[in-house]
Amino acid sequence: MENVQLTVSDFVALVNQTLEYAYPTVTVTGEVAEFRVSQGKWVSFKLKDDGALVDCFMPAYSLRIPIEDGMKVVVVAAPRISPKWGKFSLNIRAVKPVGEGSIKKGFELLKAKLEAEGLFAPERKRPLPRVPSRVAVITSTESAAYADFCKIVNERWGGMDIEVAHTQVQGDPAADQIIRAIKYFNNLEQLPEVLVIVRGGGSAEDLMTFNDELLAREIAGSRIPTLVGVGHEVDHTLADMVADRRAATPTNAAEILVPDRREIIRGAHQQATSLGHQLVQAIDQYSVRTRDQLEAAYRRIRERLDDSFERLATLRLAVAQLNPDTVLQRGYALLRGDVAVGKAIEIETHTTVITAEVHDVRSK
Amino acid sequence: MSEANNNKTVQQKLSELSELVTWFQSPAFALEEAVTKFKAAETLAEEIEKDLTKLKNDIKVVKKRFDTEE
Repeated sequence: MENVQLTVSDFVALVNQTLEYAYPTVTVTGEVAEFRVSQGKWVSFKLKDDGALVDCFMPAYSLRIPIEDGMKVVVVAAPRISPKWGKFSLNIRAVKPVGEGSIKKGFELLKAKLEAEGLFAPERKRPLPRVPSRVAVITSTESAAYADFCKIVNERWGGMDIEVAHTQVQGDPAADQIIRAIKYFNNLEQLPEVLVIVRGGGSAEDLMTFNDELLAREIAGSRIPTLVGVGHEVDHTLADMVADRRAATPTNAAEILVPDRREIIRGAHQQATSLGHQLVQAIDQYSVRTRDQLEAAYRRIRERLDDSFERLATLRLAVAQLNPDTVLQRGYALLRGDVAVGKAIEIETHTTVITAEVHDVRSK
Repeated sequence: MSEANNNKTVQQKLSELSELVTWFQSPAFALEEAVTKFKAAETLAEEIEKDLTKLKNDIKVVKKRFDTEE
């Protein structure tokens, strides 16, 4: 190449061609410095370590997790020289924080951004159907989390049509795959009643997929109510914060999704049994009321009878007073016959009957 | 009763059971009808158990692949 004279354009094109051939993509880890967004469209920053630095450049829409100066990131990029400016830079395809501190920082930045937009607001949350008949699930069908989810769902409830979209749930392609699966279910003619996204536990880096901005926005924009169960109880991701309902784990997602048929069966029998108790109670109440009414009627009859007996006794006494024998007993006498001089009359006392002749009759 | 219930979903049967419970607690309660309604509730509970026990989910994995943009 020493004797070949090149134009500047040819030289830069040749270098870029060589770079593209030798290093179509490189993965570089470093610390972000001089982070800048121009016109809301272009992101530029320097990636540095103790010994060197390199310019980085990318469209703003490719930035899936916010970054800022001082964060440690890994970039997947194509190295090239800008023909216009003559600067060597990394054209970034993907960038993500690495290390616990930077991952946490990226998470907090995006969380604050989405929160400010109201994506976590409780009033956005839609209720899930109590017993869905059509369910969509997005997960890795090869995972233990999926097996656990299916086991619990099948134990708890039946009769549902469940469609499962198999996607990666960690690594760089995972977020885009899950986004495509969400779009797929949201474009079905007959929408599922609930969309479940589950993934088992993992490291902070494993779960980073669920802190992707575009994925969080896709979940928030889903026409189908969403239920997200990622990681363990302690893991909080942006995906479950924007979901209509968060489940602590995939198993918990299954528990939230459907009621437990054993509890429903027990409840149905308890309801029927309680009606039996109420029926017996009602019969008892009717019996008590009927007995009370009978007793009241009996008491009234008794009272009436007592009154009658009392009146009868009074009458009997009055009748007894009027009995001629009673009068004779008191010393009076009963006189029968024609009261005229010379006529015989009969005189009856209490103990004797006397026949006598009338000698004299005078007016009083 | 049982034959008529065969065409009903578990949800419908659960709703009917709830209605019976409500009737027992309402002013419409009458002892003359209560025995029939109690028997209906028992039948419903048994059918709900039978229906729920035999229900299976139909789980299908979508054939479409999501690893590439179409």
